[in-house]
Amino acid sequence: MTHTTQTKTLHPAAKLYAEEYKAGLMDRREFLTRATSMGVTAAAAYGMIGLAQPVQAQTANIQQGGTLRIQTLVKAMKDPRAYDWSEIGNQSRGFLEYLIEYQNDGSFRGMLLESWEVSEDAKTYTLNVRPGVTWNNGDPFTAADVARNITGWCDSAMEGNSMSARMGGLIDSNTGQARDGAIEVVDDLTVRLNLTAPDIAIIANMSDYPSAIVHESYDGGDVYANGIGTGPFRPVSIEVGVKAVIERATDHTWWGTEVLGGPYLDRIEFIDYGTDPASWLAAAESGEVDLLYESVGDFIDILDAIGWVKTETVTAATLVHRFNQQTEVDGRVPYADRNVRVALAMMVDNAVCLELGYNGRGQVAENHHVCPIHPAYADIGPAPFDPAAGKAMLDGTDFADYEHELITLDDDWERNTGASVRAQIADAGVNIKHTVLPGSTFWNDWTKFPFSATTWNHRPLDVQVLSLAYRSGEAWNESGYANPEFDALMADALSIADADKRREVMAKVQQTLRDDGVMIQPFWRSLYNHHNGNVVNAEKHPSHEFHLYKFGFAA
Amino acid sequence: MAFFLLRRIGTMLLTALCLTFIVFWLTNLAPNLEKLAKNQGNVRMTDEQVASFLQDRGYAQPLPLKYAQWLGVAPGWVIEGRDGTVRSRCNGVLENGVLPDDARSFCGVLQGDWGYSTVFQDGVGSIIATRLGLTGKLMFWVMMVMVPGALIIGVLAGMREGSRTDRSLSTVSIVTTATPEYVSGVVFIAVFASTAFGLRWFNGSATSAMEDATFENFTLPVMTIALYGMGYIARMTRASMAEVMTAQYIRTARLKGVSFPNIVMKHALRNALIAPFTVIMLQFPWLLNGVVIVETLFNYKGFGWTLVQAAGNNDIELLLGVSVVSVFVVLITQLISDIGYVYLNPRISVS
Repeated sequence: MTHTTQTKTLHPAAKLYAEEYKAGLMDRREFLTRATSMGVTAAAAYGMIGLAQPVQAQTANIQQGGTLRIQTLVKAMKDPRAYDWSEIGNQSRGFLEYLIEYQNDGSFRGMLLESWEVSEDAKTYTLNVRPGVTWNNGDPFTAADVARNITGWCDSAMEGNSMSARMGGLIDSNTGQARDGAIEVVDDLTVRLNLTAPDIAIIANMSDYPSAIVHESYDGGDVYANGIGTGPFRPVSIEVGVKAVIERATDHTWWGTEVLGGPYLDRIEFIDYGTDPASWLAAAESGEVDLLYESVGDFIDILDAIGWVKTETVTAATLVHRFNQQTEVDGRVPYADRNVRVALAMMVDNAVCLELGYNGRGQVAENHHVCPIHPAYADIGPAPFDPAAGKAMLDGTDFADYEHELITLDDDWERNTGASVRAQIADAGVNIKHTVLPGSTFWNDWTKFPFSATTWNHRPLDVQVLSLAYRSGEAWNESGYANPEFDALMADALSIADADKRREVMAKVQQTLRDDGVMIQPFWRSLYNHHNGNVVNAEKHPSHEFHLYKFGFAA
Repeated sequence: MAFFLLRRIGTMLLTALCLTFIVFWLTNLAPNLEKLAKNQGNVRMTDEQVASFLQDRGYAQPLPLKYAQWLGVAPGWVIEGRDGTVRSRCNGVLENGVLPDDARSFCGVLQGDWGYSTVFQDGVGSIIATRLGLTGKLMFWVMMVMVPGALIIGVLAGMREGSRTDRSLSTVSIVTTATPEYVSGVVFIAVFASTAFGLRWFNGSATSAMEDATFENFTLPVMTIALYGMGYIARMTRASMAEVMTAQYIRTARLKGVSFPNIVMKHALRNALIAPFTVIMLQFPWLLNGVVIVETLFNYKGFGWTLVQAAGNNDIELLLGVSVVSVFVVLITQLISDIGYVYLNPRISVS
């Protein structure tokens, strides 16, 4: 594998990280995440800490060609900015590429960007577009394409655009569009972003699935119909809920062949087997698919038993039992009272939930939604567990006799975890019931549920989920949490690129979330998938991404 | 006869109209529309976004008006959205904001336009055609297994009432009829398709059978549906056969010295098949019901699976299309069974 040099001058923070790594203050994964988001290539980052980058792609043992059949949900395509499922991103990932790619080892790699530089105050980003990239219709890919896509991400008037919330520093709050001068095309291969406030998550956000890069002729709707992208594959057909097919674009020279190697496959079929893991197992046993999107719960052991090969990734994916602090139930707002929330959280031993709900496949979490693998995680100790004190605290509120209702999705491990939370709260002497809703009902009104469990995907940086989900009035804030003090702390954290300095703020952020009893967050999940043993380079990705150009069959 | 047919067709249309209105009303209840908006837009849309989404796409109009538009007796809506885009029911997004002169203003079922599926992002007509074709294939094989099997079992059991053959075949039929598809399907998968049991004769998934049905991937879904109906039809055939075998003319034939096989084949069979014929025709609607479970269980994407998806995702126009087709399948098979009855039994006349 060849690697391009991303920056001539290393970001000063990256050097600091390297020293810390050597001093044993941070682990390899943290170091890579932090250093690469500062614009250092993965190879250079490994070099800084005196290691050789592991060979990620087993290029030697891959056969050229073949049809790969993948079990995954097949969802309707929409404008990439409105993508709300990782699966949708995967369906278009073969032809719509990203500026940045998040790697299994926690580092960032430039895809359509060859490199990037971050100013020390994290307010100016210089993006260097990869030369020699073309669209599959022959048009050259230039800085103008990058600028146009970023401008599109800033359109907060678009229904369902989830990118606009992540591009805050580029948006004019009066017009809800990109601010004049925020996105500057310096030359054909350089774009400069001028942010109003420091934002350290920009690079990570550009790797997330809604940030797929589209051609100028694309004008909303089904990207399969447009079909123009920079990737090595071309869309062939999509039948929602049934099957989507992409094929190698033989008439298109893909830039990545020289840089990354691949693509290996001729054809990829995404086949939908619904949401029941028993059907996935049936598909695997019948040999109708080669690779599963994700293996869950008891099925992990069963798939092992039938001889399929397991891959695992440790992630910050999690399940959050959050209270909605604004939802009214029968004229009262049960979870507006901080003591009610904190009391309930104290009755739950998170380790028990991990054992009963997820078979111990993960790490115990600490009720503040920041994971030890996040760069600026501050260790503030385990969540307090004291059912008796919790009960006493609850008795002191107006809601001592209130019947709580925990709502979870009818999904193997979410239901089981919910049941373990309910049982522990009930054991503490509180009146609580557990309602399990099917997906068709659950998603209808889920943000308003007074007390329910929500799954969250892994995100590379500590501040990312927190700023999306817990700041006042944010689009994804489903806990109704509105604490000016927390918002101020977050604004602070978001401006500190250096993870060590940020950790001091994060300690307060984490403590505030826990003290306010915003959530009961029992564990961090490890993610798994299985393949039939012949597939290579298809290891489970922490953000569920399929890097299709790498996938192939063993020779 | 002509009047009878006309009356039947009239009933059919009226039933379709009532049923679709009920489905239309249920799918247009406010929470269902909200679900639809969130499915289409983004699951995290705010209430305002949901409201503007529904407003801009014509969902906020009064129910009778929307129903009339779907039927094609009222002109389709043209609405300027809050985002400035003008959308129309019949012509999609209008580029420059005005309807072209030659544009259609009516587009409903009466005009042959079945609408657009919001889940599958495709025309309802073509979805139903594809899916009904796949279910047709499944039904064909079910019928091929079920009808001859049931008649043979029924006749064998019914020709000597109370014999050992009768008792054992009746037990088998009762067991299969008493086992619903969702039980037998799961048992079959566990026994014949899973590594757990060791017998891996068939596939537990019929997804590949949509393109290329083989003995391995199609046996289990076909048997699951066929066995359930088989027991029922066999019981009916047995009862009918047993009754015929006690009739005077059979006794006369025996007294004349006709051989037992001849009595069964030449004298009893035709009369004994009148009742099963009706039952078999009435199995068609039942099969539609059965395929919902079996197609979902075996992940075979036919009509039943489409119904589940349409209902689960509140896909209004697709669900209406599915309802209309179901009404027609039920009532047409009943019509055929009534007419066929006349030919089988000359004592009955429909006029």
